[in-house]
Amino acid sequence: MRVAAARVCVLVLSAAVLLAGSILPGHAIDSAVLQLGSVAGEGWSAQDVSLQLDWQQDTEAGVVLRASQLRLPGPLGDLGAVSLHCPRLSYNGAQVECPVGQLQAESGQFGSQRITVSFRYQLQDKALALRLEGVRLHGGSLDLQANYAGSGWSAQATGKNLQLTGISKQASALGYPTPVLTGDGRVALQARLHGRGAQLGEIRLDLQLQDATFTDDSGSLAAEHATLHASMQASPHARDWQVRLQVDAGAGAFYFDPLYLEITDQPLRLDTSLVWQPQRHALQFQDLRYHHPGVVELQASGKLAWQDGVQLEALQLELSEGVLPALYDSYLQPWLTQSMAGALQTAGRIHGSLQLAAGMPQAVHLVLSEVGVEQRDARFGLQGVNGTLDWSAQQARQSRLAWQSGHIYRIGLGASEVVLESTGNRVRLAQPAQLPVLDGGLQIETFALEREPGSSMRWAVDGVLTPVSMQALTTALEWPEFGGKLSGVIPQVTYANGDLTVGGVLLVRVFDGEVTLRNLKLEQPLGQVPRLQVNARAQNIDLEQLTRTFSFGRIEGRLDGRVEGLQMEAWEPVAFDAEFATPPDDHSRHRISQKAVDNISNIGGGGVGGALSRSFLRFLEDFPYDRLGIRCKLQDGVCAMGGVAPADTGYYLVKGRFIPPRLDVIGYSDRVNWGGLVEQLKQATSGQSPIVQ
Amino acid sequence: MNTLRIPTMLMLLLLATACVTINVYFPAEAAEKAADRIILDVYKNVPPGQAPAAEPAPQPGSSTQPQTGSGRAVSMLLDWLITPARAEADLSRSSPAIQQITARMEARMRELAPYYSSGAVGMTRDGRIDVRDQKLVALPQRNAVKTLVADENRDRDALYAEMARANDHPEWESEIRATFARRWVDNARKGWWYMDNSGGWKQK
Repeated sequence: MRVAAARVCVLVLSAAVLLAGSILPGHAIDSAVLQLGSVAGEGWSAQDVSLQLDWQQDTEAGVVLRASQLRLPGPLGDLGAVSLHCPRLSYNGAQVECPVGQLQAESGQFGSQRITVSFRYQLQDKALALRLEGVRLHGGSLDLQANYAGSGWSAQATGKNLQLTGISKQASALGYPTPVLTGDGRVALQARLHGRGAQLGEIRLDLQLQDATFTDDSGSLAAEHATLHASMQASPHARDWQVRLQVDAGAGAFYFDPLYLEITDQPLRLDTSLVWQPQRHALQFQDLRYHHPGVVELQASGKLAWQDGVQLEALQLELSEGVLPALYDSYLQPWLTQSMAGALQTAGRIHGSLQLAAGMPQAVHLVLSEVGVEQRDARFGLQGVNGTLDWSAQQARQSRLAWQSGHIYRIGLGASEVVLESTGNRVRLAQPAQLPVLDGGLQIETFALEREPGSSMRWAVDGVLTPVSMQALTTALEWPEFGGKLSGVIPQVTYANGDLTVGGVLLVRVFDGEVTLRNLKLEQPLGQVPRLQVNARAQNIDLEQLTRTFSFGRIEGRLDGRVEGLQMEAWEPVAFDAEFATPPDDHSRHRISQKAVDNISNIGGGGVGGALSRSFLRFLEDFPYDRLGIRCKLQDGVCAMGGVAPADTGYYLVKGRFIPPRLDVIGYSDRVNWGGLVEQLKQATSGQSPIVQ
Repeated sequence: MNTLRIPTMLMLLLLATACVTINVYFPAEAAEKAADRIILDVYKNVPPGQAPAAEPAPQPGSSTQPQTGSGRAVSMLLDWLITPARAEADLSRSSPAIQQITARMEARMRELAPYYSSGAVGMTRDGRIDVRDQKLVALPQRNAVKTLVADENRDRDALYAEMARANDHPEWESEIRATFARRWVDNARKGWWYMDNSGGWKQK
């Protein structure tokens, strides 16, 4: 566009020179006004053109060129009341020069303009030098300087105090892919261009933004009190552009959806070489260096393409420094809000490299130093992690990770080390690993993980749980403390489609008896509604230890039981079929205390609670019994109750010995509200007296 | 031949009746009540402003469409032949999952309420929420709001599925979602934004 404008100037000048050339030698007249009417050329036209000449000396004249309207191509558009006044235009046969003049015009777009103009045109070599000062633009001013000669041309623009919003709007209106910004911010810029004919040689652009607060229309690009310095060199090569870009962000806060960057003390710097291929819709970047002091330093090269949306086609990234938690908080977490990894507290340092090809990861190498990861809701954590992670899409790679400590929910994990081997979508344990769990350990024999493209992750573990003391486990879970051991052979733990299935048997030696857990399945363990299914069997439980632990009221004897089809939803039972009773062949001492009788009678809804204290039986501390037991089949919040044996009406919860003092506890309620039952159990075990209604 | 015709007719009739033994309609009114119970619980943590304005809900869904004349006659005949079993489905059943999800949503409401009021967050047509205008959120909070919205939507999706499941009609999930979508808006505070049927944002 500027080239076209320059041509117009040249044409007008040529007309002036011709006139001057034909009239000056004669000196016949001192002053002349030429009405030229309408003048038009390719892409431009002018109305009511007049030229006024006032002779001063042989080679000098005052010239005023006027047009009521000037229609120009490109961004300049229509201008009204155009006048070019050069009080001392000189002509000496070799050149025309206007050392100082004034150009005035009314522009719909740029307002009223009074521009200081100077120019010189050399006829021999057709060299033009033009200077415009004080162009009013976007609240600021712009100075322009252009030189044209046979050997080439150059132009320079210096802008001061320009409004960022105005520039962005205009750039967008001109068809540049720039966002339209609103807000406040001033720009100082300097642009230098040179070329030859229609061929642009190089553009150098230097841009400074001071204390700018702005946003684009969608809010995905925004800044507050931002200070930015960008410099760019660009030159066309065939159909491509070679660009060198350097950006320093010195102060303020920036939001590039979804990244939020706040500059505290040292500036953030981006430095890169680019090859822009507009026809191929591609942008290659080489030797990109990005430095966010105290957070991240990286080098990269790669290629971006946009056919349908922007795609990172290739990337070779070297992360020479990554400092946690800042690296995670600023650069990783914003992409991960939808996943479990989006809620972590991190620490430590990492460095490494990453390769992508055709939008797919090809290789990752990561070195971790004293890394700590802690989930926001304390669901899991790992501290003091050191080692390397290596992965390649094609080749087998080995990774080695060691950590000081960790936890899953409240269960502590000790220091351990794993060696993993990965090939493409598969990862496996290269050698068995020992993972300390509380005071026991999980011996992991095999571990294999795979993730086929387009499907969810699956993994399987084979291991043995060497005994963990129940004391440690109950303390960790903040349950009432009790003795015993938890152990098990876990032949196959598999995770597929979000569900965790435990094969084999988990064995809990507890209260001098055994509890075995089978068919354990956990649906969506990390989802919104975790669901657990398990079948349990208890054998030979010592009731005295059990009742003492839960302060239920002392009972002596043994207990067997089973819980079939236990289903827990959000960690609360919603269905099961459970039965606990004195084993038929139990020959141990059977005694039950008054407190226990009271508690049991309330559970069964028998309502004998308090009856004991009103009879002579209150003088006895405990009673012998033959058998005791309870059944509950839970469904839809209601427990279908039963006891150890049917009674004439109802069922026996405690069946007394034949010989006196005989005490039977008989339950009558067939259906009990599960929530109420749990409440009663809680009250009973918390030592409070139950409320009998 | 005539002797054969009557048994054939009877067989056909029997077949027809066998096909229409159970009519379970989506209980639109009960669903609204169940939705309101949860929604009012969640909204109760909104700082005092205008009182929530519950408006008469728009008409129930597809299940109670008037039948055409001949269809009605057939239906009456079938009713006479065999009383249609109506499943007990009042959608009032709760579950630990529903309670836990609701509790999370109640707690989150405290954080979300200012963004509903400012118009940064609005209610969508599918019973979810979305960031309507992130320019209304201060730069440092933008990602936190996105996280809140993502968390809330995960819970809402789970809630609709769990309500259908707890009431033994997993196939009603989409109708429950549609009911909630209406009632979230009907019970919302004045000034909050929602998406209308054409997908444009409107202020209540």
